[in-house]
Amino acid sequence: MDRGLYVAMTGAKQIMQAQTVNNQNIANSSTVGFRADTVSFSSLPIYGPGYASRVNAVAADAGTDFSSGVLMSTGNPLDIAVNGKGFIAVRAADGTEAYTRAGDLHMTPEGDLTTGTGLAVLSESGPVNIPPSTHVTIGGDGTVSSIPLGLSPAAQSPVDRIKLVNPPTGSLVKGLDGLFRVKGGAKATTDETVAVSSGTLESSNVNAAQSLVSMIELQRQYEFQIKSINSADTDEQSAERLMLTS
Amino acid sequence: MNLALWAAKTGLDAQNTQMSVIANNLANTNTTGFKADRAAFQDLMYQNVQQVGAQSSSTTQYSTGLTLGTGVRIAQTVKNYAQGSVLQTGGSLDMSITGLGFFQVTLPDGTIAYTRDGSFSMDQTGNVVTASGNPISPAITIPATAQSVTIGNDGTVSITTAGNTKPTTVGQIQLANFINVEGLQPTGNNLVIESGSSGAPTVGSPGVNGLGSVAQGSLETSNVNTVTELVNMITCQRAYEMNSKAITTTDAMLQYLTTNLQ
Repeated sequence: MDRGLYVAMTGAKQIMQAQTVNNQNIANSSTVGFRADTVSFSSLPIYGPGYASRVNAVAADAGTDFSSGVLMSTGNPLDIAVNGKGFIAVRAADGTEAYTRAGDLHMTPEGDLTTGTGLAVLSESGPVNIPPSTHVTIGGDGTVSSIPLGLSPAAQSPVDRIKLVNPPTGSLVKGLDGLFRVKGGAKATTDETVAVSSGTLESSNVNAAQSLVSMIELQRQYEFQIKSINSADTDEQSAERLMLTS
Repeated sequence: MNLALWAAKTGLDAQNTQMSVIANNLANTNTTGFKADRAAFQDLMYQNVQQVGAQSSSTTQYSTGLTLGTGVRIAQTVKNYAQGSVLQTGGSLDMSITGLGFFQVTLPDGTIAYTRDGSFSMDQTGNVVTASGNPISPAITIPATAQSVTIGNDGTVSITTAGNTKPTTVGQIQLANFINVEGLQPTGNNLVIESGSSGAPTVGSPGVNGLGSVAQGSLETSNVNTVTELVNMITCQRAYEMNSKAITTTDAMLQYLTTNLQ
């Protein structure tokens, strides 16, 4: 049996997984703060007796595309977008500190500042909590200020400051919940240069044209693999016929 | 079945829902006090196919892993409570709120609902009611002898009667505000009700404690920005088409597989 068949089968399987990643990006083309995933293939030669002629392709995350999305103006003071590089620190469902670009923030009745997914937004000292107040605003450096309930606008005062970080993107990994964490579980430190703008949201950074082109490319590559399987099959059949006539 | 198909399918579903939200916003461009909704997209959980950093042998680690996303969903619709434009109507019981706060309305079951729609009128006994007939809370009754009704910026309702030069105060409009107004639950008829995430209302006179002031003779228009909605509609349509294309492409790949390998 020609084991080249399995090489082509592995290739087809890996390309289908790459197509899944591509479809996932397209599905999230409207998700606020979404960062596109990229896939790369690496070669994995199969060593054994004789020459290692068979090389399997293995799909792997090439990481995440950290380029910025488009800023959309919403006018909501609790919507923030990170300008350029940087992330907003949040407490993930598992209690660890994680980082996101999605700045559609909300306030709970208890005054806790949370993301659209209900995760607590963190400051240096823990979750951001706003005492009963009106007119909550978020400044360019993440400072949350508000007018305490019952006081005049002159009483506007800072409450807390959202932790904004900018770890090297190479040290970040996307978790199963879509949030970023520093490899090895370390916490990123506050970066004073990270700026946010209030009243705007950052769109997904999925490049529609690029996704459609890679979709076609993957489709054709998939067909090559199937063609190879087919050829291996045809070869095998010819060999069988040869055996029968002899 | 194939994950690539399902990821694209969730995209179609979500864009379809977003289109409903956009259509509802556009349908309500002339609704008094209407606040536009925005559909909030979220990526679904990821599947870990190959753990990054896992041991590939006793001394080496995989430098990269493979996590496959499973698609997208619309987690919530968020109302934008930005102030709408103010339209002068001249109606003596038309009111708009400039700033924060909601008018309180008593529903037939006795509970309180909240609205930014200040197009009030009188019923046959002189009670101030909404267009749907729900009385304002606290209740205000305009006597039949009233010749004119004046509502001050602080919500004081006063009337003048024939032969009496001095106005008489007949009621006080109270506004309610919430710590998390986005958490209010819309119930239709321009009303919203308190929910677990909105918090309890803080009630006060207009202009006090950060509440907005009331302007008589004007109405707050819908805050739907039609240009924004039309741009959203275009991006929604294109995203829908892309997801649809992703499904047909994945299908074509599987079809190629089944027709060529028999």
